[in-house]
Amino acid sequence: MSEHDESFAMENFDTILRQVMSELGVSRMVDDYRIKADPDAPYFIISLRLGNGPVSAIKVSDMALVDDSSGGGKITITDEAWAPALLTKLWQIYGRDGVEQLTRFELVVRGTKAEDLSDLELDPGEEIRSKVLDAVWRIFPEGFKVRHNIVDDKVMTIIGTEHDMEDEWIKVADDLHKKMRGA
Amino acid sequence: MYEVLLFDGGVYKINELYELIEDVGGFVIQKTQVQVQISVTLAIPEEERSAIEEKTKELGGKLIEVPLAGTEIAVVAPTLGRHHMPHPTCDIAEQLRRSGAITVVMGLARGKGRRTAQITADEKAIIEEYDAAVFVLGNFKDCIVEHKVRLFEDLEVPVVAVCGPDIASLPSCEGLVCGVGRKVERMRREEEIHKLDEVAESVEGAIRSKRTELDEDPLFVHPAEVKDRIAELEAVQRSLRPAPIVLHLDGLRVKIPYAEWKDQIAAVEVYGRRLGDIADISDSRLGGSTLIKIKTRAEVESG
Repeated sequence: MSEHDESFAMENFDTILRQVMSELGVSRMVDDYRIKADPDAPYFIISLRLGNGPVSAIKVSDMALVDDSSGGGKITITDEAWAPALLTKLWQIYGRDGVEQLTRFELVVRGTKAEDLSDLELDPGEEIRSKVLDAVWRIFPEGFKVRHNIVDDKVMTIIGTEHDMEDEWIKVADDLHKKMRGA
Repeated sequence: MYEVLLFDGGVYKINELYELIEDVGGFVIQKTQVQVQISVTLAIPEEERSAIEEKTKELGGKLIEVPLAGTEIAVVAPTLGRHHMPHPTCDIAEQLRRSGAITVVMGLARGKGRRTAQITADEKAIIEEYDAAVFVLGNFKDCIVEHKVRLFEDLEVPVVAVCGPDIASLPSCEGLVCGVGRKVERMRREEEIHKLDEVAESVEGAIRSKRTELDEDPLFVHPAEVKDRIAELEAVQRSLRPAPIVLHLDGLRVKIPYAEWKDQIAAVEVYGRRLGDIADISDSRLGGSTLIKIKTRAEVESG
């Protein structure tokens, strides 16, 4: 461990993490977090336990009206908050050319039927995870590019260093990950 | 010795102020006019301050102390990534501007990391062109004490280091302000504003000692006197850059290309001598600028 007193750094990182998460609107999605660092090694670990937010998948029929039309399945979005995620999902499955945007809320997916589209599911957890990861990259020391991730459905632990990653540091991260999972 | 002050007031009868400045042997360094409001940075001989104060009162303006006026300061962050920018680097630069300095924010190409943090010879040479440099460092004491100090150990200009952890002293720097660290928000809380004041005071201290050092072996002419002559050059008048001439403690930066204008600049006459004879004129590392370092009186007279 470093021979210097790093209490300022730990307090400051705590503040930065809280501010960044609130800026990105993910504060309520993270139940608990730990930051561990040894600047002498050097390594930096962030471990986050994700909360029980809206992690269950949502169907297209829950946030839009789906009809058949001459061009294919027609979607009329009723809950705009889901529009970007829905469009991204449709682009992934049917390609950009396959999805026609008639207006802000109306989409026609060529060559599909309404029933196929109604059963389509969106995973909100994915969006949350990407936002939380964005927060992590904003906090992580810039030069620590060598990274190792331990991720499961509840806890996300990321360790980073400057040069070679050592097994004992990964073990420290692993122990922290298990502790966060069990807590 | 010259004193630099800022007049803040209206444009009504402002010419009377300009005439008085000229009469007392002073100079206008910069004018910024916004509709009917005007800010004038002026340099006057210290003993004439009362006359300027009286005129300011008559014109209904106010006179503000700008201890860093006539200086150009580099605020250096390890990188320009979001980890160091815009806060607190820009907040510090803004605070120095409020004290009258012209500031430049600079990020190092390979300043990130701990052992991997480096500064290139080119970057050092750029920083050396300024009157002082402020290095904005991070949170970890180990990282600052063991590694980041190397970034500024060879610099000859005064350096003020700003960092997070409480450190008693750091080598190779004239000033040290602790308790800032990394920020993701503007520094607008009371204690943060005090910290910014502390940084400005520390830079003022470093500039003051450099000024005292210069006074021991005074310059042949004050840079503001040279500025007036150079401002008459056609290229300077045509320049669209916000401050085409920037004063330094021992010279000035003229934002016109060296290669094209060096002869005309050297031929400018100052007190019956060619500027080329009383100053060293060189190309600036920042593109399209020329640096003028005025020689000391002793150097000119012995040469």
